[in-house]
Amino acid sequence: MTSPDPKSTLSFFAVDEGTIRQVMAELTARGADAADLYFQHARSNSITMEDGIISRAASSVDQGVGLRVVVGDQTGYAFTEDLSLPAMLAAARTAASIAHGSKAAPPVALNPRGHRDYYRINRPWDGVGIADKLPLVERLDQLTRAQDKAIEKVTVSYADSDETVLIIDMHGNVFADGRPMTRLWAQVTARKGEETQSNSANVAARQGIDWYTEERLKFLAKEAALRTMVLFDARRPPAGEMPVVLAAGASGILLHEAIGHGMEADFNRKKTSIYADMLGKKVAPDFVTIVDNGTQDFERGALNVDDEGIECERTVLVEGGTLASYLHDGISARHYGVKPTGSGRRESFRHMPMPRMRSTYMENGPHSREEIIASVKQGIIAETFTNGQVQIGAGDFTFYIKNGWLIEDGKVTAPIKDINIIGNGPEALRNVTMVAADSKLDFGGWTCGKDGQSVPVSQGIPTTLVSKLVVGGVNV
Amino acid sequence: MSELVKKAQEAVEIARKAGADDAWASISRDRSVSHGYHEGKLEKVHESTSRGLGISIYVDGRYSSHSTTDLRDDRLASFIREAVALTRALQPDPFRKIPEPHLFEGRPTLALDRLDPALASVSADQRLAWCAELDARAHGDARVIAVESGVFSGESEGASASSNGFSGEWEGGYLGYSAAVTVREDADRRPEGSYYAISRHVRELPPTETIAAEALKRALDRLGSRKGPSAKMTMVVDAQAAVSLLSRLMGPASAAAIQQGRSFWAQKLGQRLVSERLTVVDDPLIPRGLASRHFDGEGISAKAMPILEAGVVKNLYVDTYYGRKLGMTPTTGSASNRVVTPGTKDLAGLLKDVGSGIYVTSWLGGNSDSTTGDFSLGLRGHLIEGGQIGAPVGEMNVTGNLPELFQHLVTLGSDVYPYSSLRSPSLVFEDVNFSGA
Repeated sequence: MTSPDPKSTLSFFAVDEGTIRQVMAELTARGADAADLYFQHARSNSITMEDGIISRAASSVDQGVGLRVVVGDQTGYAFTEDLSLPAMLAAARTAASIAHGSKAAPPVALNPRGHRDYYRINRPWDGVGIADKLPLVERLDQLTRAQDKAIEKVTVSYADSDETVLIIDMHGNVFADGRPMTRLWAQVTARKGEETQSNSANVAARQGIDWYTEERLKFLAKEAALRTMVLFDARRPPAGEMPVVLAAGASGILLHEAIGHGMEADFNRKKTSIYADMLGKKVAPDFVTIVDNGTQDFERGALNVDDEGIECERTVLVEGGTLASYLHDGISARHYGVKPTGSGRRESFRHMPMPRMRSTYMENGPHSREEIIASVKQGIIAETFTNGQVQIGAGDFTFYIKNGWLIEDGKVTAPIKDINIIGNGPEALRNVTMVAADSKLDFGGWTCGKDGQSVPVSQGIPTTLVSKLVVGGVNV
Repeated sequence: MSELVKKAQEAVEIARKAGADDAWASISRDRSVSHGYHEGKLEKVHESTSRGLGISIYVDGRYSSHSTTDLRDDRLASFIREAVALTRALQPDPFRKIPEPHLFEGRPTLALDRLDPALASVSADQRLAWCAELDARAHGDARVIAVESGVFSGESEGASASSNGFSGEWEGGYLGYSAAVTVREDADRRPEGSYYAISRHVRELPPTETIAAEALKRALDRLGSRKGPSAKMTMVVDAQAAVSLLSRLMGPASAAAIQQGRSFWAQKLGQRLVSERLTVVDDPLIPRGLASRHFDGEGISAKAMPILEAGVVKNLYVDTYYGRKLGMTPTTGSASNRVVTPGTKDLAGLLKDVGSGIYVTSWLGGNSDSTTGDFSLGLRGHLIEGGQIGAPVGEMNVTGNLPELFQHLVTLGSDVYPYSSLRSPSLVFEDVNFSGA
């Protein structure tokens, strides 16, 4: 969708300059280093096809405004779904109660600000009817069922959403953003004799309906079926420490958990991250460069402006093996005296922003996938994942492998499934011994959770060898 | 009749006028307040009043569900009319019908005591005083580098009404506090420990002292943590960690998962699934219970039902839709309070009997497959040496199959974890696969 202009977005929320000035004055009445209003209107739709029937559809409208006052590193926050002036003034008073100073100067005039657009789509989702969506869902169901005769059940889930966001800071800067998102899943259950296996695949992006080409649907159907059928032959690897080859793409989950969260500046400001005293230090071999980027066209993790109105950027976390920058929101940028990195994000108007990842990936290295696999005597390849987690301070992280492969004597020998991997962030980075030149972002939709807030993210990596991680498995 | 029931009935009426054969509407309002302290200072205050309406629509055998927070009369009416129009574009589903009225009969009247009148009068000053107490106590060691503490509460009320005669209301509240402690181990490692308590009634919360001391102990316990061995050993899972392990076991015990071919509980009704030591009852009628209720989301009147009795599957979670698809009588589609029958020995007694093995205090990541039961979980805990808690271990995984693991459940403790709707004691399993060094 074309990004909306700030002025018309004000009228979309039925608020005018006078209202904004009054609410901002109330919000900053007891002082503020920063203050903002975050208006959001989100419309989402979903469709589910199960047992060959479009059995349900759902829609929701979520609208409100979040009001925030920041004094030093203290934050007062309140929100209301009622956009009437009295309701907003009441919420402003609640949020302002954290401050105990004298009145900060409210803006004299609003200053509409423009920005780049990384997700300009042809047909905005609010103009796409259900009649255009149903054939997609039916086609994916049909394609998936046709993949293998052992397939017994297919569930197709479709979702799209349209968000209109209006951010007004205490200096009167006004930012408007229109944020589309869509996602399509295929879930498969197959039976062979007495054995049942199930798995799924999905594609997601800040895209419009035209993105769902026949080719993309075929890819998704095939991927979901392959991931399921391979489970019938899959086993558990032996338990213990061994080399782990991260397949290009989704394995970027390792970066997200092992270093990404630890680089969010709030944890470092509070000295609770294992990376708190490591800026400028060598943490990985020279060929390792890790980036968090909000500016990739149509990516799930892309943002034109972050949720504080800061333009997104490409932030280098690790440059040639050296720890380069944290991910900052406004509070941490003021604390460290640096420019914010456009990483201040929130789940919705109900939540206060904090430093978050956008699209996290590693750049290409000097090796090849073939030589990486050939170098492993006994180990595994990690290929698809369901989830991961990290302990910020101790640095221990995990991710769960749904599909992977066993490597024996430099050769891929058998599929593996359902194992958890656990390691320590800085140790794992030091143990990155080879990186190939095939970096790519995963096509699936990832959602990152922190402090009870979920935000969409992307992740990617080239084929990478970590010489030692603890692999869940069986003791023989 | 309350204002909320009236509002839900109005929404049903709008849907009917727009052409729906049936409709089911629910409306709710909540208020929540949280205070967060960081290093002895108030860091954040978050306060909100929220409301929303959800409506399910049945038209010509077609079905859809919708929700909105824009409750202005004209907007709501057009939202519901659009929802009815959208439903007409779907395909008919012969199994989809509004829940039958006989399921609403026999609604219990027992007072569930879900809303403590004292909650409304817990002042901001009191909350800040609790935060300060938690913060001070959690700083009780020189190695502490950061403490975050918090006090949070919520109150809610809601009502549902349907076109076929259902109407009901509920209310509830909770108050809790938490502490998270980070300690310094060496130049870089900063292990953390946290603990919290939550209750429907203010006076049932333990002293802040207990929570802060436990969080500090959990952080200090991590100091010097190393990988344990890769081996088959006995595993003792502490009562809090047992909650998520049991949730993984119980998760696929539903008609929905079974009908979709994604449950290892399929074909197991009336059969032994796990160790005869395990008995779990779903009991929605526990006064002050965190998941207590008089009726579920489909209006089905609440009653206690055994899920596992001495390891045998007695009942499943069956909602009306998947019940119809499988030809099973609906029970309820969603869990309430799940109560595990405890054993007689406390944790120290269990560890003494076990002698050696791994004592798991918390999980880190991991997942399970609901179709096969295969699982693999990261863990933190301690070695069990000479029947006592020994050196801390971490960076380890436990891997296996859930029904098989629970067939190896040999003992349950007497120490039921109180701050969850799943009430479990510590659990002891034999022959468990650990990966470590």
